This record gives sequence, structure tokens and C-alpha cells, in this order.
Amino acid sequence: MSKKLVVNIIGWIFGLVWLVPFMGVFMTAIRPMDELLNGWWDFSSFHPSFNNFYQAWNHPTAPLSRGIPNSLIVATSATVLPLVIATMAGYYLARYRFPLKKLVYIVVVITLALPLQMVAIPLYEMLLKMNLLDSYIGLILLHTAWGTPWITFFMRNFFTTLPPQIEEAARIDGASDFKIFFKIAFPLSLPAIGSAAALQFTWVWSSFFLELITIYTPERFLATQRIPLMRGVYHVDWGVLSAAAIMVMMVPILVYLLLQKYYIRGMIGWSMK
Amino acid sequence: MKKLAFVALLLVAVLSFSKLVVIGPWAGAEQEKFMPVLKAFEEKYGIEVEYKVYRGSDLLKTLPAQFKAKRAMADVIFMWGWFIQDQAKKGNVVDLTGLIDENDFIPGALDAVKVNGKIYGIVYTGKVKPGFWYRKSFFKKHGLQVPRTWYEFKALLEEIKKIPGLKAPIASGDGVGWPLSDVTEHFLITFGGPWVDRDLIEGNLKWESNTVRYAMGKLVELLKAGYFGEPTEWTMALKQWWNGEYALYFMGSWITGMVDDPEDLGVFALPGAKGVVFAADYAFIPKYSKHIEEAKKLIKFLATEGQVIQVKQGGHIATYKKVSLSDYPVVDREVAKILQGMEAMPDLDDTVGGVFQKTFWDQLKLLWVNPDRLDEVLEVLDEKMPK
Amino acid sequence: MRRSKLSHFLFFMLPALILIGTFVVYPSLRTILLSFFDEDGHLTLKNYVKVLSSRDTINKEGIARGEFPLGTLLHNAIWIALHLPLTIIMGLILAVILRKTWGGNLLKTFVFFGMVMPMIVGGVMINFMFDANVGVVNAFLRLFGLQVKTWTAHPETALFSLILGSVWLWTGFSMTLYSAGLETIPKDFYEAAAIDGAGPFVQFFKITVPLLKPITVVVATMTLLWDLKIFDIVYVATQGGPGGASNVLAIQMYNYAFIEFDYGKAAVVAVLLTVFTMIAAIPLIRSVGEEK
Repeated sequence: MSKKLVVNIIGWIFGLVWLVPFMGVFMTAIRPMDELLNGWWDFSSFHPSFNNFYQAWNHPTAPLSRGIPNSLIVATSATVLPLVIATMAGYYLARYRFPLKKLVYIVVVITLALPLQMVAIPLYEMLLKMNLLDSYIGLILLHTAWGTPWITFFMRNFFTTLPPQIEEAARIDGASDFKIFFKIAFPLSLPAIGSAAALQFTWVWSSFFLELITIYTPERFLATQRIPLMRGVYHVDWGVLSAAAIMVMMVPILVYLLLQKYYIRGMIGWSMK
Repeated sequence: MKKLAFVALLLVAVLSFSKLVVIGPWAGAEQEKFMPVLKAFEEKYGIEVEYKVYRGSDLLKTLPAQFKAKRAMADVIFMWGWFIQDQAKKGNVVDLTGLIDENDFIPGALDAVKVNGKIYGIVYTGKVKPGFWYRKSFFKKHGLQVPRTWYEFKALLEEIKKIPGLKAPIASGDGVGWPLSDVTEHFLITFGGPWVDRDLIEGNLKWESNTVRYAMGKLVELLKAGYFGEPTEWTMALKQWWNGEYALYFMGSWITGMVDDPEDLGVFALPGAKGVVFAADYAFIPKYSKHIEEAKKLIKFLATEGQVIQVKQGGHIATYKKVSLSDYPVVDREVAKILQGMEAMPDLDDTVGGVFQKTFWDQLKLLWVNPDRLDEVLEVLDEKMPK
Repeated sequence: MRRSKLSHFLFFMLPALILIGTFVVYPSLRTILLSFFDEDGHLTLKNYVKVLSSRDTINKEGIARGEFPLGTLLHNAIWIALHLPLTIIMGLILAVILRKTWGGNLLKTFVFFGMVMPMIVGGVMINFMFDANVGVVNAFLRLFGLQVKTWTAHPETALFSLILGSVWLWTGFSMTLYSAGLETIPKDFYEAAAIDGAGPFVQFFKITVPLLKPITVVVATMTLLWDLKIFDIVYVATQGGPGGASNVLAIQMYNYAFIEFDYGKAAVVAVLLTVFTMIAAIPLIRSVGEEK
């Protein structure tokens, strides 16, 4: 019995290391700055309000009221597009023989390890020439290209676990290969697509480096780009910053909480190729 | 058919002619203070103007590439002086010599946009970094006096240090790094003379020179004695200073708009300072603008009449001499007066810009917490100065 | 497995290949080329010499005096040397202990939040935790009467506070993988060991640790890659400062490319970084190579 208590105590001590900072950010976000000068744990006066959230939403230089919709547009497009493209490619790799397959695998794995810095300069110049710099189309294309490799691999792994018998039966019935993909394989792969979508969406949402080098117009800034601006040159207010941090992290956290099962499955599938 | 095409062409020409595009760094509340200026121009000349917000650091990434392609995203662009000079040397900027009279502006104000005696940009209003701010009530309560010599200043700091409950005599505003660079520049100008600032900018003086080392030594002396507090996010530091946790705070003139009771504010420069940093905004016309003549009208308006309107909105100090003290809101008059007795210096790191500015800010953060490492800091600064 | 017709290849594969070719493979090769040429288009090793002899990369004086900055190369190495073992150990401990803790799943969710949130926000959280006035770390130290300071503002502690913060952010990853791994270990193993008289510690080291080894390899590889690519956290928390004391390769590359506009030097840093990530990815590449 006492052993169990010890385990519980240790568990909660560790747990508090994670809980307390989140609590701190929350407390900071709901209190006015004057109450924070001696730390958020000082409750000698306590006036909670949503004022900081309101201010972060309507921030004069970096309003989240623009950033969050922007990020939603980009993250949604950059999730749907690579999913379609990569599901097809993954299916193909799982079902068809073709020369140079191994090379494709290796390129895919190398891409997983490649830092974005390796492509930053040429991509910047390329987008500039294509007139796609400072545009969402360019950014979505980049995210699509960088999401495609891992999703392809992820979907290939899924399709190899799917027994081919159903598809063979359909083929005997005279269905074309394309029809088989859309009518049979695609619907069967929806759970895997869900996992990949949950991950890809949160990653695009959280992405910062690509945005930093491609998007310049303040109105077009994504949510993540607005965070450094809020602690930027002209005004730093821990309360507003914390409120903004909570709003920006809320979206991926909600995705995670709602799709927990898919998310974890995707996480494990992504890393354990 | 031909007629139709002609009409269409004419229509396109007229439509594309109707709007000037201005790019400036002001967003939010600052933008609201700028819009009346543009509105006055529109009313006076009947030329429509569109305003777009771009920060300098973002323009830095897009403009050079666009100029290379002989395109321009706006007709009048507010940007750092060093950038305008740099682009002028590359032939991407319209020569404005003769458009405005240099004598109408405070001395030295146009230096940052001159190349070989020609003027490539206009100077707009700006912000002054006059010195150490204090609360009159705080000084009164503790019986403190504004110092007249360096020794009095040190004695004052020592006296303040003895006040119980204080974090440190001087608050160190941090953030990106400019509040520290403002203080440093004030020391350089005071102990090296106003010319040090210009010589450093032009690369005629090394950071490792004795002059700079002497001036920086004065700052290091105070840092070592613990008179400066730990770098703290500058708005946080402002609150703490106002609440009496620090006695002095070095800040620009915009501080008047950030405190509850501006009447209680007092300010003094380091004893012996003969110059004060005046960070003005500059604007230029890119050579690839399609409406250069209209843009010239606008840029001239901004430099002259525009300043009067801008100053009335508060928080800005004019560079145009014909703006009179009565044009300012009351709180800004004090600051405008300080400027009258001193030489206006360009902001050092804003003028040099680029990688140097970033390094300067970063190295000062190091110096503030480790004043012993002055030699190393100066060495790195020399290394990162543009060659 | 079926033979492929050209039409199949074109339909299923081509879009993916075009995208990867245009936005991943081609620019990577171009960066390699960039690193070997000077502004006038001559083949040269000058960029490499410049970067490797720069105090940004390896700061000999700093190393000699044992003072930060030591240079980005060493900072990244220190990051790995601390972050990798801490992540593995913390993840494993949390996975094992929280399984038996009341409310463990709730706590696990919070630990995992660290890696679900954008790393830009993560950087702000680190700033916040280590701040002298509002930081919880300092509040804790104050309880013991210790001197407080803003940890990220001092050269001797800036890098370490970022690393500790990144452990806090990333442990959720290893914990989750280990948690999933623990579910796959049959209970009988432990029961059999208990009958043989093995205590919980012996069980942990003789059963849990060896059986989770494949997961450890994955965690280690992914963590290594993450450490090497670290950018957002540093960018928002310290910008690599003070005085470059917490600078890392990814930030150095960004500064060279987009602030100094020296593409040659930036390309060299990118290539170096890529070489390291490729070495880290060897187990990954090998596992794919072995597949049929």
C-alpha cells in the first residue's frame, strides 16, 4: 500500500513540473499586468478577466483576428492537398512493382531528415521568379511538397497491411484499377488518412520557418508569425503574450484532444517506419 | 474594334494613374495618426493615396530583389536611411536634390540620405532619445537633485542605491535589444563627442579605438558598480520604474504617451552631452515608380506640411524648422525644447543596419550582464561592421 | 504485387514526384552547388574556410576561457549531449510511473501538450519560466533563498535554460512512444520474474529496458534530428544571444542568408547541418534499405 503511495507521489511531482507552467500561462493570461509584477502566484489582488484575450485578438500590430483565419486557410489546404497526392502515391508503392522503387524510398526517408535550411535559399529565389513569394499559393505548395514524402510512406505502410483480396475480387468483377482505388482502397484507408491529417494539420499550423522566409505582408502573417511580433520591438505585455500563446496553441491541442486516438497512432506510425 | 481597344487602353492608363502607393512602418494606433496626413494631401492635390504597412526588416527582403527586376511595389517608401543610401549608390532611387531646401530642416537631418552631396530621400518626423527619465515625485520624496556633472551623477546613483526596496538605480529595458543600444549611444556621444557617432557610422573609427573604449569604459564603470538593473522586458521595466522599483529609466520621447501622469515626468541628459539621438523616419521614391512626378508632390508634402499635421497627433518631433512649438501637444513640447540646444545625431545602429545592428543589440545584452567582457564585445563589433 | 503500366505511374506517382523533385530535391542540390561557388561564379572552397574559421561556428577564445559563446557547432553538440539522454530517461520514467499513478492519463496529456503546441509558443513558455520576475523556476529557487535572475539573459545559462526547456517540451514524444511500447510487453514476463524473486528495479532493467530497445532507437533518432534542426525555440526566446551564447546552426544559417545576404556562407551552414542530420538518419535509411 505504501509503495503505491510513493509511486503516486513521485508521479505527481513529475506531473506538476508540467502542470505548473501551463497554469502559470493561464493565470498570466487572465490577469491584468499590474498584478503580475511579483509573479502570477501572488494572489494579494485577483481580478480575472478576458481582457488580455481581447487585446491579443485585436492587437494593434499583430492581431490574431487576422492570423488565426490565415493559418486555418493555409493549414487546411496544406493538409488536404498532400493527403490526396500522397495517398495515391502510397497506394501505388504498396501495390505496384516498378524499377527504382528503392530510390524513391530513400529519397522519401532523406526528406524526413532534411532540415528546411537546406532548401531555403533556392526556394526563396524560385518563388520570387514564379511570383509566388508572399503568397499563400507558394506557401501551400511548399507545405504540400514537404508533407507528401512522410504521408506517402505512412500510407504505403497502411496499404501493405490491407489484404489485397478485396481489390482482387473487384478486379475479377471487371473494375478498372482507378475505380478500385477510389471505390475500395480509398474508403478503407480513411482511418489512416485521419491520423495523417491530424498530424499534418498541426504541423503546418505550428510551422514557422517557411512562413518567416516567404510571407512578408503584415496582413498575411500567419498565427505563429504574430507571436514574436507581440513580444517584439514596441510592446511587451506578458498578459497579452500569454493570451496569444494560449489561443495559438489551442488549435493543435484541440485537434489532438478530439482526434487523440488517430493522433497517437499517426505519431507512432510516423516515427516507426 | 480599334476604337474600343483605344478606349480600353485609355481607361487602363487613367485607372492605373489614379492611385499613389505609400509604404510605411506604422500600424495600428500609429497608422491612425499618419492617415490624416495622407488625407490632407489627397484633399489638396486630388491624387488618391493608398497606404500599406511593411516593416523595414520585411522590405529588406523584398525590395532589393524587386529593384533587380526593375519593379517597385510602391511610389513612396519609408525606409531606413542606410538602405536608401545603399540603393541610391546602385541607381535605384530618384534624385530629389532641389525638391526640398536643406536649410528648412534641422542641421544634419538629411545626412543619412545623402550620397556625394545629392539628396536621395526626405526626412520626416522622428523620435528623440533625450536621456534618463525620472518621476518628479520620486526625486522630491527622496530629496534627490538632477546632476550637473559626471561626479554628481555618480553620487546620485550611489545615493539612490541606498534607498531600500529598490531593484537598482537605473532600469535596463530589454526586448529586441534597442533600449540598451540607446543608452550606449548616449554614453558614446557624451564621452566621445557628437562626432564619434558619425565616425563610427562611416567606418572612420574603430570600436577598438581608445576614444570608443574610453566612452564605453564610463558605461562599464556603472555596470560593474551595479547601478543598472538586470535587462528586463522594457514595458515591464517601465511599470516597475513607475512603481518606484527603479529611480531612472533611459527611454525615447514616446515614454510620455506610456505613463499615467506625464506631468510627473522629468528628464536629464548625461552631464556634458552635446548631442542627442534623434531617430527620424526617411522616405524615398524608387526609380521604377510609374508616377514619379506625382510621387514627388507627395514626398515634398510629407517632408513639409505633412510634418505639421503629424506632430499635432502627438508623439512625433518635427525635423522641419517651420513647425512651431505651438503645433505640439503640451507633453511633447519639453522634448522638442531639449532638441533645440543640442546637435541631432542619427541613430547609430539604425543607420548602419543589417547584420551589425543585430550583433550590436546582442553583444550589448552580453555586456550588460558581463561588463568584464568589454574587449571581446568591441572586437566582435569591429568584425561585423560593414566593410 | 502488380506490374505497373505507364498510365498508372503517371496518375498515382507523378504528382508526388514532381512536387518532391521541384521543392525538395532540386533546391537541395542547388544549395550544395551554392556552397562551392563565390559571387563571381568561380568554384571555390572559400565559403567553407570562412564559415569554419568564423567565431560564429567555433569560438576558440571562448573555448579556451571556458566561456559562452563557444560557437554554434559546439552549442548544437551540447544540446544533443544533454537533451538526448534526458529525453530518453525522462520519457521512460514518466511512461512507467504515470501508468501506475492516479490521474496518470491526465498528467500524460499535459506532458504531451508540450510537443503538440507550436514551438514558437514553446519558446515563449521557456522565456516565461526562466524570467526573473514572473518565472516559476525563479519562484522555486527563491523558496530556497537562492539568487534569482533571468536565466536566458546571461551567457553562462542561456543555452542551458533553452535545453532544459526543450526537454520539457519534447519529453511528451518519448513518453508516448514508450507508453505504447509498454502495452506490448506481456504481463507474464513480470509475473515470472516476480516469482523468481526479482524486485521492481531488477524487473525494470532486465525486462522493460531491453524489450523497449527498438523504441529507444526510434526515439533517439527522432530526437537527434529534432535537436539538430532546432530553430523556432531559439529564435523566439533568445535570438541566439546574449552575444551569440545560445546560437545554433539553423539560426546561423538564417542570419547569414536573410540578414547578411551571404548565400555562399549560408549554403555552407545548411550543408553542414544536412551532413549531421544524414548521419543521424542512418538507422532510418538502413531500415528502409532492408525492406523488400
